Amino acid sequence: MILVDMFTMAAVGAGMFFFLAGTVGLLRFPDTLSRLHALTKADNLGFGFIVLGLLPQSPDVLSGLKLVVVWLLVQLAAATAGQLIAQFVGLERRRDPAA
Amino acid sequence: MSIPAASMHSIFNHGTAARFGAYLALWIMLIEFSVTNFAVGLLAAAWATWISVSLLPVSNRQFSPIGLMRFAMRLPWQALVAGADVARRAIDPRMPLQPGLITYATRIESGPGRDAFRALMSLQPGTLPASVGDSDAMLIHCLDTRQPVAAQLAAEEALFAQITGGGRTRSRRDD
Repeated sequence: MILVDMFTMAAVGAGMFFFLAGTVGLLRFPDTLSRLHALTKADNLGFGFIVLGLLPQSPDVLSGLKLVVVWLLVQLAAATAGQLIAQFVGLERRRDPAA
Repeated sequence: MSIPAASMHSIFNHGTAARFGAYLALWIMLIEFSVTNFAVGLLAAAWATWISVSLLPVSNRQFSPIGLMRFAMRLPWQALVAGADVARRAIDPRMPLQPGLITYATRIESGPGRDAFRALMSLQPGTLPASVGDSDAMLIHCLDTRQPVAAQLAAEEALFAQITGGGRTRSRRDD
């Protein structure tokens, strides 16, 4: 049991690190599109690690599946929303290359 | 969205039933099981199936399960590489970035396949599609334009094409 708990702590800790890194990127990166990279990639990985860490703690298979499905849905939502914002910025830049 | 009469009779076929089943399974996974929830789930799955069939009609395109598996197996590793790459650049005090837009001429047909490819590209290390419209020249934002981005995209495109047995890409067309 202690091994399982250690795995959970390590994975959730890694998840927190990537969330932090994503937020640092959001604050430091110079423009909208670069910031989107930080949000779509680092945060998704952080969330993935947290789900991975919580899996062995789930009481039954259905709860575990639910965690995985939520992660997949968030990935899908992030990929879609990220592209919509990127397209919008692309349009703006076409109108005004300095934006 | 109206559904053409010709496709009306094909709505209730295997593909539609499979989608309905998948949505219902998704509902049961996400919402705790009870008789009331199940009744709502049936309605929700039927609605989702209707929307899904209007947006993406059922077709008898052959999918290659092996190609899909091969592609899916690489996703966790790529998520790790992509996330670690962004994290490293964000935390490094010198912040090594050279952001910029490149164009990439894709060979994947415009439509659901290309949309899926673009969504997957946004999860790849260092690339984020920012295309406008249906043009074959995809606009890709890169965190570091010094990286061999075009080669990376071409490799991904080739793997992605294997999911549909290569049948969905096409050679350059003059139009």
